[in-house]
Amino acid sequence: MDEMKILANAIVLGASALGAGTAMIAGLGPGIGEGICASKAVEAIGRQPEASGAVTRTMIIGDALAETTGLYSLVIALLLLYANPLFGSLTSALEKFGG
Amino acid sequence: MPAALLMASEASFTVNGPLVVASFDLFGITWNLTETVIIQWIVMLVLLAVMLIITHKMEVIPKTRRQVIAEWIVTFAQDMVDTTMGPKYRGYTTYIGSLICFLLLNNLMSLFGLKNPTSDISVTGAIAVITFVLTQFNRAKTGGFKGYFKSFVDPMPFMLPFNIIGEIANPVSQALRIFGNMVAGMVIGGLIYFALGNFAILVPAVMSLYFDVFSAVIQAYIFTTLTMAYISGAECE
Repeated sequence: MDEMKILANAIVLGASALGAGTAMIAGLGPGIGEGICASKAVEAIGRQPEASGAVTRTMIIGDALAETTGLYSLVIALLLLYANPLFGSLTSALEKFGG
Repeated sequence: MPAALLMASEASFTVNGPLVVASFDLFGITWNLTETVIIQWIVMLVLLAVMLIITHKMEVIPKTRRQVIAEWIVTFAQDMVDTTMGPKYRGYTTYIGSLICFLLLNNLMSLFGLKNPTSDISVTGAIAVITFVLTQFNRAKTGGFKGYFKSFVDPMPFMLPFNIIGEIANPVSQALRIFGNMVAGMVIGGLIYFALGNFAILVPAVMSLYFDVFSAVIQAYIFTTLTMAYISGAECE
């Protein structure tokens, strides 16, 4: 029974680590988005240098909004690594089936 | 089994939540006084002391250097409100100015070896809830009872659920943004120190310059700017 528990825990641990790593693939999206945002801002400042203040301000807000999805994935990854909710359901499943 | 993946071996890297300094029972709920609350009290005291010192004995024409600094801070906050919200909302300058000072000091606390209060989701969540309440207040004030509820069925009645979700998503994403950035800086900084061990020279300093200084200043600015954008964006025609 103990071996089975250890195996089950190990599977959940490994799967959580994989899940945390996979979740961070979402970092791609904000990276591309912020890159596009910055390149357009540079173009805009090149065309109208006198509007650089307003363009920079808008760019920073746009960057922050583009970053949100990446931060959601970061929260998921941190949850899986440090406050894993899956162990709760594992414990209840083991109690139900194995005693 | 507590789910801390990296706690498997003895000398490993862990991320902890805020320490609970004291806890007491009141009204049937356990209230925890955490490390982050105490650091926020320190920040508030420092802010209060600095603001009292630099606004002490002001004159019409500034003679002292501290009055110039005080005027610069006030002008900065006023310019931010004027350019983002419009001169109509100048009454919010006091809130916006204190918000940016408070968040900036909170974000920079990691430079003094303390835990960032903003890397605690309860802190950022509470500030985001204040923004949410102000947003709803401005919507109700400009639109009245009818305009407030009409703005939720705008432009079509079937948009009602989307509008409600969008309204709730604002404070959630705002709280998670500053929290995520600060925690990411904390985790990456800790991992670099852990990986380099005894050879932690120069590299952590350069990373700290980005994560602890640049990111902290930018996030305080962004949080304040988004607060202003949400409040003035909630205006009914």
